Amino acid sequence: MSAQAETTNDTGLVRVSSEKIGRLMDLVGELSLSVSETVHSPDLQGLDLASFDAAVHRLTMIVREVQDVATELRLVPMDDVFKRLRRMIRELERQTGKKIDLVIEGGDTAIDKMVADKLYDPLLHVIRNSADHGLEGQEERVENGKNPKGRILLSASQIGSEVRIVVEDDGRGLNRSKILGKARERGFFGPEEEPEPSMLWRVIFEPGFSTADTVSNLSGRGVGMDVLNSTMTSLRGRITVDSWENKGTRVALFIPVSLAFLDCIILRLGKTLFAVPIDVVSEIARPEGDELMNVSADSKRELLKLRGSMIPIVRLDQFFNEVDADAERKPVPPILVVFNTATGSIAIPVDEVLDRQQVVMKPLVGRLASVRASWGCALLGTGEVALVLDCERLASGAAK
Amino acid sequence: MNQAAEVTEDAMTAAAARGEAAFNDADNVDDMYLTFALADEEYGVGIGVVTEIVGMQRIMSVPDMPHYIKGVINLRGKVIPLMDARLRFGMSERPYDDRTVVIVMDVEDALIGLIVDGVSEVLEIPPTQVDAHGQFGKGGKSVISGIGKVGDRVSILLDTGVLVSDSDVTLPPDLL
Repeated sequence: MSAQAETTNDTGLVRVSSEKIGRLMDLVGELSLSVSETVHSPDLQGLDLASFDAAVHRLTMIVREVQDVATELRLVPMDDVFKRLRRMIRELERQTGKKIDLVIEGGDTAIDKMVADKLYDPLLHVIRNSADHGLEGQEERVENGKNPKGRILLSASQIGSEVRIVVEDDGRGLNRSKILGKARERGFFGPEEEPEPSMLWRVIFEPGFSTADTVSNLSGRGVGMDVLNSTMTSLRGRITVDSWENKGTRVALFIPVSLAFLDCIILRLGKTLFAVPIDVVSEIARPEGDELMNVSADSKRELLKLRGSMIPIVRLDQFFNEVDADAERKPVPPILVVFNTATGSIAIPVDEVLDRQQVVMKPLVGRLASVRASWGCALLGTGEVALVLDCERLASGAAK
Repeated sequence: MNQAAEVTEDAMTAAAARGEAAFNDADNVDDMYLTFALADEEYGVGIGVVTEIVGMQRIMSVPDMPHYIKGVINLRGKVIPLMDARLRFGMSERPYDDRTVVIVMDVEDALIGLIVDGVSEVLEIPPTQVDAHGQFGKGGKSVISGIGKVGDRVSILLDTGVLVSDSDVTLPPDLL
């Protein structure tokens, strides 16, 4: 063992292989599961367990702490990624002939090593686009009264359980009319529709959206943005874009700090358990009869009336084709959980809301990989398994 | 390969009790098959892919799966999908009893549990005693990799890669 752990005396650092940490994480997951299995053992039911309960409380606290410490072991500073990107800037300066000032902030922000490893490529695409198309040439910049040297800000900061990574340039900004034209051509918006900027910029992440002929500002973004999009989906992250004409563009990535544990609400529909990340749940409603509406004209869509807005209802059993679409529909289950998604709110009917708990996430592999609209499996404290729903894909899948 | 050795302890003990030296040579794992029963038929899977054999566990349902995937189990923190072998082959369903077992296999780097009526034993079937199965392939890749013969016993050997795939593997009528 000690032969592999190489110590550096002066800094007190130990080099440990990531497999070992992965093994530890697995064990900690199993530990917390078996603690909960022991504590919830049916043999204990009906017993008077005053001091046992106190000991359990202490044990649970310690396990939670061990879990946190184990998670921290995998955290690395964002600087590891930023440094590699800084080297690329030199390269980009040579290629584009522009002078670029790269400003890095928050390099000490901690992030899961597995996440950090996946971030380099997508961030490189964003930066390359900023340098290539966002920033103007020196002469143009001087004409517009800007510093001849272009500026790209690369910053990371932790906000709650998320890390926000921002790439901001002070270039010419996205061209609204050209992007809108292209988006209308592709049918994302009606010919008269004037979407909010935040809705409009989102289309640049649509697969294969931009083409070189769209606008020089966007050229080449097609494939790069796809990479960004799919990486963000696999990391359970989201992207926002802001842009100001002649002032610049800001792309912000929001990513959970750790992929291993997730704060979830547990739902039950029929015999199946589902888990949803707590931050996407906006409301839990128990609707009266007149708050539910049927729209037979729109492929039998069901809607929930909630304080004046109409929220489409997505039935999980229909989404997963567990029931025959033509069969007489059962009444809507009693509880509706409302989610915020990029494509608007959706309401999911369930029989029961069970609990809020931190779950251990397992990826779906092998046969299970084909389950749609899911991040993975959640192991609950009771030893049960719940499917973690990806509400974004649920919403966009149901809209079709 | 010690996985396979450890896992099949039970079957091995059974074999040893019958006076058959099943595991005298660790090198011929390729020729070793774990045999199991489905109705009155005997099937076999290569011992190399088997990681353990467990009794029936509490099954939790998972949506978006074909009917022969009954759900998942939580086996010491591992989430493993369970495939009902009878349903996979288009045979009639049968309630699980205390002989029903789950053969946990590692196929293409993913674990999957196969629900069978009961395991029989570990058999050594050298390639010379395995009949090619050309006559069963009706287009596409057959789930049957061969027919193994040991004495007067016949085991239908399965290709686990095809077994866990999406493809339709309903057995040809002459085998049902």
